[in-house]
Amino acid sequence: MSLYVCPICGYTYDESKGIPEAGIAAGTRWDDLPDDWTCPICGAAKADFVKQDGEEPASRPAPAAVPAPSAAGTVEDSAPVQVGDMAQMTPLELSALCSNLARGCEKQYRSEEAALFTELAAYFKGASPITSDPSTTALVSLVEADLEATLPTARGVAEGAKDRGALRAITWNEKVTHIQKSLLTRYEKEGAAMLANTGVWVCTICGFIFIGDNPPELCPVCKVPGWKFSRIEGRAS
Amino acid sequence: MSAERYAVRTIRLCTKDCLCLYICPTGATDTENSIIDKDKCIGCGKCADACPSSAISMVPRAFPPQQAHADEVTQAMRALFASKVAQESMAAGLPDALAVALEKSDRIMAEDAIREAGYMLPQSGNAHAFLQGLLDGNRDAGFPREAVKRLLELLPANE
Repeated sequence: MSLYVCPICGYTYDESKGIPEAGIAAGTRWDDLPDDWTCPICGAAKADFVKQDGEEPASRPAPAAVPAPSAAGTVEDSAPVQVGDMAQMTPLELSALCSNLARGCEKQYRSEEAALFTELAAYFKGASPITSDPSTTALVSLVEADLEATLPTARGVAEGAKDRGALRAITWNEKVTHIQKSLLTRYEKEGAAMLANTGVWVCTICGFIFIGDNPPELCPVCKVPGWKFSRIEGRAS
Repeated sequence: MSAERYAVRTIRLCTKDCLCLYICPTGATDTENSIIDKDKCIGCGKCADACPSSAISMVPRAFPPQQAHADEVTQAMRALFASKVAQESMAAGLPDALAVALEKSDRIMAEDAIREAGYMLPQSGNAHAFLQGLLDGNRDAGFPREAVKRLLELLPANE
């Protein structure tokens, strides 16, 4: 009998106990749970669970080799980013920078400044070109690239620098990116049916996405109370 | 007004016990709109101590400079930021509530990443240089130039 742990919220499935209240009898083997079973707390996919001894239950592709942290001399090819140099930012990046600064102002109870940054964020969003040929498949590739390269690289660099602030952001980012991948994978299989007769919620603090009638009591990733979730409506056609 | 901190009331937590009105030596808490008067507040903290619902906190008038990140951390967080924004842009072109949720989720992660890439504080030197740069560049007629000018007035750099 083994234990399987959710990588996002830490929920543990214990084969010896099952989940009798959900109709899963004690002694139910992990392999006998349906493939579309999801974490009862946060909704992560079964395939994302990790066996407690550290061995992963499902065969997953080995993570891509992590590029070495950019030592001096290796960054020249990739056009080093100068702090304060916004020239290379896309309009949507400028929008996200402004909406972040608006949040910073809100936290300091500076409502006039927050409104001005929000105005700038809206201007830059309006000036952003529309992505050509968007597709769920292409989005999944981008999400996977983050899980396999962007995030491990960032983690390696931040651990090397012992940067607590960056590591905190990376941890939340990893978990939220994981749930995004779980949900997109389900969406590719089930389509919009997975969203029928239920709600879609986003944690306004860390970006965690939850499908359910009500938001969770606490965000499984960043632990803020449920009222910090916002309910998402579909697009106005 | 000269104190380093002032009182702020969180309306959502306020249960109108009104001990702050009783205890405030300057009347700063006695306002029509329930927002404590920042100019009258002397930062003594008596209202925060007296409030039974913990609805008042003392916040600094000026923040210390934000902590610096190593250059390679800044670059890694900028890369993460750019990736999340690219995904936000992609999600914006897709239908269904899940895509709307992804768009929002990506934006929140992007904001978190850029915060750890040198843009934590709106008063930081980086934020100030960013705003100044917006004024210097060529922008179209719809660009809210006045908003940027006002922000530069309201948020002098603290480093």
